[in-house]
Amino acid sequence: MKINQKINKSTKFKVLSDDQIEMIYYAALEVLERTGGNVYHDGAIELFKNSQAVVRGNNVRIPSFMVEEALNYYPSKITLAGRNKKRSLHIQKDTVAFGTGSDLPFTYDRKTGERRRTTYKDVNNAAKLVDALSNYDFLMSHGIVSDAPNPQTYDRHQFMAMLEQCTKPMVLTSVDGEGLEDLWKMGCLIQGGEEEFKLNPLFVAYIEPISPLKNDRTAVEKLLFAAEKKLPAMYTPCPSAGATAPATIAGMLVQSLSETLLAIVLCHLKNPGTPLIMGGVTTVLDMKKSTYSYGAPELSLASAANTDISKWLNLPMFSTGGCTDSKILDEQAAAEQMMNLFYSYLSGANLIHDVGYIDHGTNASLESLVLNQEMMGMVKQFGKGINTDDDYLALDLIEKVGPSGEYVTTEHTFEHWKEWFLPELQDRSDYETWKNNGSKTMLDRVKEKTQDLLDNYETEPMDEKLQKELKDVIKSADERHS
Amino acid sequence: MDLSKITETLISGKSDELKKLVEEAINNDVKPADILNQGLLTGMDAVGQKWKAGEMFMPEVLRCAKAMSSSMDVLRPMLKDDDIGNAGTMIIGTVAGDLHDIGKDLAAMMFEGAGYKVINIGIDQSNENFVNAVKEHKPNLLGMSALLTTTMPRMGEVINSLKEAGIRDQVTVIIGGAPVTEEFADEIGADLYAPNAGTAVEITNEYLQNK
Repeated sequence: MKINQKINKSTKFKVLSDDQIEMIYYAALEVLERTGGNVYHDGAIELFKNSQAVVRGNNVRIPSFMVEEALNYYPSKITLAGRNKKRSLHIQKDTVAFGTGSDLPFTYDRKTGERRRTTYKDVNNAAKLVDALSNYDFLMSHGIVSDAPNPQTYDRHQFMAMLEQCTKPMVLTSVDGEGLEDLWKMGCLIQGGEEEFKLNPLFVAYIEPISPLKNDRTAVEKLLFAAEKKLPAMYTPCPSAGATAPATIAGMLVQSLSETLLAIVLCHLKNPGTPLIMGGVTTVLDMKKSTYSYGAPELSLASAANTDISKWLNLPMFSTGGCTDSKILDEQAAAEQMMNLFYSYLSGANLIHDVGYIDHGTNASLESLVLNQEMMGMVKQFGKGINTDDDYLALDLIEKVGPSGEYVTTEHTFEHWKEWFLPELQDRSDYETWKNNGSKTMLDRVKEKTQDLLDNYETEPMDEKLQKELKDVIKSADERHS
Repeated sequence: MDLSKITETLISGKSDELKKLVEEAINNDVKPADILNQGLLTGMDAVGQKWKAGEMFMPEVLRCAKAMSSSMDVLRPMLKDDDIGNAGTMIIGTVAGDLHDIGKDLAAMMFEGAGYKVINIGIDQSNENFVNAVKEHKPNLLGMSALLTTTMPRMGEVINSLKEAGIRDQVTVIIGGAPVTEEFADEIGADLYAPNAGTAVEITNEYLQNK
C-alpha cells in the first residue's frame, strides 16, 4: 500500500497563479466601479436604473457587491443536445469541445483557388464535414450565407443550412433580438417544445460586446432575450491589444473580464440564473499590417490565461483555436493553427471555436477543416498524459522479453498500441514508399479527403414535416422583412 | 475438408487454433500442398493485401505471421520440394559492427509468415559467418541489413566474399536498413532492395517468380 500518492490522469497546464487571477479579477471590479461600461439599450438602462448601479446617460457603473451577488447565480454546467437528440456536449469544468467559427464573408474556392463570397451551399458543406469529422463536437456556421433573400434574415437561413447537414450541437450568431427569437423558436420545434429545449438546448447564442466597454443595442437585445428564456448564451469580447484594449495582456484581460461581468450583472437583473458562458477572443492588433491577428502567440497565451480566470470564477469558457492569419492553407496556417489548438486544449477551455479559420477571420476553407481534424487528434492524444499503473510500467514484460528481445509480437503490444494516435493524413512512410505513391504533400492528401467526404458522406436526414415547420418560421421572417 | 476455415483462422491470427486445424487436415489426408496453397498462403495473401491497404497493422500482421510459421513447423516435413515453390530457405543477419536488429527481425518474421524457412543468424555477423551459413544451409535467399552508415559497406564485403567462395550465384541477395537505397544496392551488387520490412516479401516473391 502506498500513501501520499498523486497521479496525473492528464497533462496539466496553467498560465496564471491564483494570486494573479485575483489581481485581474479585482482590477476588473475596479473598472466597473470607476469607469463602467456604456449600454445603448433603453430597456437595459431602465434595469440598471432600478438597481444599485449608477447610471449617467448611457454609462453604467456597477458596485462590486452587485457583481459578486450575480456571480453566485450562474450555472457551471450546461449540456447541449444536437438534433440527433444525443446529449453529447457537456460544458463543465475541464471538459473540452472543439468547433468551427462562424460568419466568414469569403470562401476559398477549391476549384478556382480564388476567394469569393460565401453561399448557402458553402455553409451546407462545412456542416457536412463537421458532422463527418469525429474531433468536431459543435458547429458554428464557418461561412456567412450571403445569398439569402434579405441580409436582415440571413441568420435563419444560415441555421437551416447548418441543420440540413449537421446533427451535432451548435453555437449560433443572430442579426438581432428578433433573429435570436426565431432561431430559438426553430430550436424548440426541433427539441419538442420550449420546456424540452430548456433541458436539451440545441445551441448557445453567440453575443459580443464592442471593446472597449461598449454594449450596442442588438447585443443587449440578444442578451435580454437569452436571459428571459434561460437560453444558453455567451458574451465574448473581441479586444485587440493596443487598439481596443491595453497593449499589455494583463490589461486586456482586465478590460475583457469587466465587459463580461457587466453582462453577467445585466442578465442577473433580468432573470437570475441565465446560463451565460464567459468568452474572449483576446489577441493583438498587428502593428505592421493593422489586422486583428488570429495566429499570434499572444492570442494563445491570453486565451489560456482567460480560461484560468473562468475556472476560478466557476464559469464555463468559450475560447479560440485552430485559426490562422495565412491567406491560404500553407505552412504558416499549419504552424499557427497547431499552436493555438494546442494551448487552448491544454488550458481546458470548454468550447474552443474558430477551428479552421484562415485569413484572420475573413476566409472560409473546407480543406482547413479537414486538416484540423488531424491536428485536433494529435493534441487530444498529448492531453491524455501517461498512465503509470503496473501493466503500464510493464516490469514483467521487460523481464520476459529481456535484452536483445523484441516487443512487436507480444500480447502487451497487441493490446496497447491501439491507445496511440493513429494518423489518417500524416505520412510516416519511408522515402521510397512515399515516392512510389506519388510524392504527395499533406495538402494533396487533405484535398483528396475533403473531396471524398463531400462526395460520399451522408448526414442523417431531417424529418420532412419538421423541415416544413422550420421553413415556415423562415418564410414568415422573410415576409416581415420584405 | 473445408480449407477456408484454415484461411480465416490464419487471418484472425489464432496460432493454437490454426495449428490444430492444420494437424486435423493432415490426419484427414488432405494433400499438404493444398493445405499450404489453398489454406495458409491464401490467408497470408489476404493479410498482405490488408496490410498494404492500411487495414491491418504491424502487431496484427506479425501475429498472423507467427501463426503461419508455427503451423509450417508441423506441415514442412510433409511437403515435397516442388510444393514449396519459391518459398525456400532464407539466411538473414545483421553485418559486423551493427547491433541493431529490430528491422531485420521484423523482416525475418514476415518471410516466415510467407512460408519461408528462415535461419536468423543474428547481429554483428562477420563476412565469414555469412559465407559459412550459405555453404551449410544452401538457402535460395540471403537477407542483410545495416542501420549505420558506417556498417553499410560491410554488406558489399559479404557479397564479395560470396563471390570469392564461388557461391554468389546460389543465392538471391536482398538488403535493407534505414540508410540503404536502391542505388546503394546496385552499387554493391545486391539483387534486391526493400525500403521497409513490410514490403520485403512482396518484392522478393515478385522477383523470384520472374526469375
